[in-house]
Amino acid sequence: MSKKRRMLFISVWLLCAAAFLVSALLLKSQTGGESVKETMRDAVLHESNRISFFGFSVNPAVVSAYTVTAILLLFALFVRVFAVPRFKSIPGRFQMLLEQAVGFFDNLAKGNSPHKNRFLGAYVFTAGSYICLGTFFELLGLQGVTTGGASISLPAPLSDINAAIAMGVTSYLIILSGGLSGNGIKGVFSALKEFSLPISMSFRLFGALLSGLLVTELVYYYVGLSFVLPVFVGVMFTALHALIQTYVLTMLTAVFYGEVSEKTPKRQKEKKVRRKKS
Amino acid sequence: MKLPLNINWQQILLHMFNLVLLFGGLYLLLYKPVKKFMDERAEKYKQMDDEANEKLARATAAETEIAEKTRKAEEQLALDIAKARREAEDEADSIIKDAKKVKKQMIIDAEDAATREKNRIINDAREEIAQLAVKAAEKVLSEKTSVEKTDA
Repeated sequence: MSKKRRMLFISVWLLCAAAFLVSALLLKSQTGGESVKETMRDAVLHESNRISFFGFSVNPAVVSAYTVTAILLLFALFVRVFAVPRFKSIPGRFQMLLEQAVGFFDNLAKGNSPHKNRFLGAYVFTAGSYICLGTFFELLGLQGVTTGGASISLPAPLSDINAAIAMGVTSYLIILSGGLSGNGIKGVFSALKEFSLPISMSFRLFGALLSGLLVTELVYYYVGLSFVLPVFVGVMFTALHALIQTYVLTMLTAVFYGEVSEKTPKRQKEKKVRRKKS
Repeated sequence: MKLPLNINWQQILLHMFNLVLLFGGLYLLLYKPVKKFMDERAEKYKQMDDEANEKLARATAAETEIAEKTRKAEEQLALDIAKARREAEDEADSIIKDAKKVKKQMIIDAEDAATREKNRIINDAREEIAQLAVKAAEKVLSEKTSVEKTDA
């Protein structure tokens, strides 16, 4: 391409972009749309936009959650059928990636709960994959149709309080099971002492993901901010939340699981025996 | 009773059902096979490492044993050499002693033989001289007799 033609191409490209930008800014938004307040409220509470899911009227996040699960299980099935039988002792790139993912969560479980970690490793791997992919899922912008007939973009599953509570409570139940299997009833009591865990884990997830969603919604609400900025705001917020929240929840679950499942030494009994002897 | 923040027990249970489904599926299809492969590989390498260590230990033991044997052999060799040297020296001493004895005997024998020869030669010379003297005397006598005869 000659220099003149290149300059002409760039000029036309910039002119087109500027024309669309100016016309978009000059055009008034249509009346009857959602106000910022309604958008924000709906993003948090999902009261108005609901989706029919096998006869249930649910929040869009439920559909997102099952879609994420379907994607993950399909991927796992493909890996199990096509990739795992071809695994080599010296791994290739894809095998290395899978081994890194499994190894990371396995080591997280082993590091925080050295005595009992097989079940924990599998759980934090599942939770980590779900949170990470679930958060990135909103970037796909898959569309769903509400019961009212409107089209909405499916959100990240954990930006719904119900999904966050489910994740927090499940993690807490896993911790409780660790206490039960490690220390019996005593372990259950030590896990129950941390009764605020499910609430804190749920709301941490919900808050972190919702904040990203709200910022992105806010940015998209105003046409003037819809150019270039969403690339940074949306993608960066999503990527950071995906990685940070994955790490935080899996780490917390592993730490508490390790704490409650660790066998406590029977010191008091020994002391009593010594006292009796003396 | 409606809970705040649109919290819905049914949806929470739906999400939990989804999580359980995902957990089982991911565990069976992805986590377990990959971890099993990784564990088997780690076990294989550990076994190889153990075998290598065992071989190394055996090689070290064999090396120590060989070194010990070499040391003992060298000690034995030194002892044997010293013994052989001692024996050789004894043998040499004995040979020298014998040779000296033989030499002495030979000298004695030679001296005896020389003495005997000398005596024999002297005796022979004496006999010869005696004979010569007899012959000379006879000759003188015969000459005297002939002169007397002539005179007579």
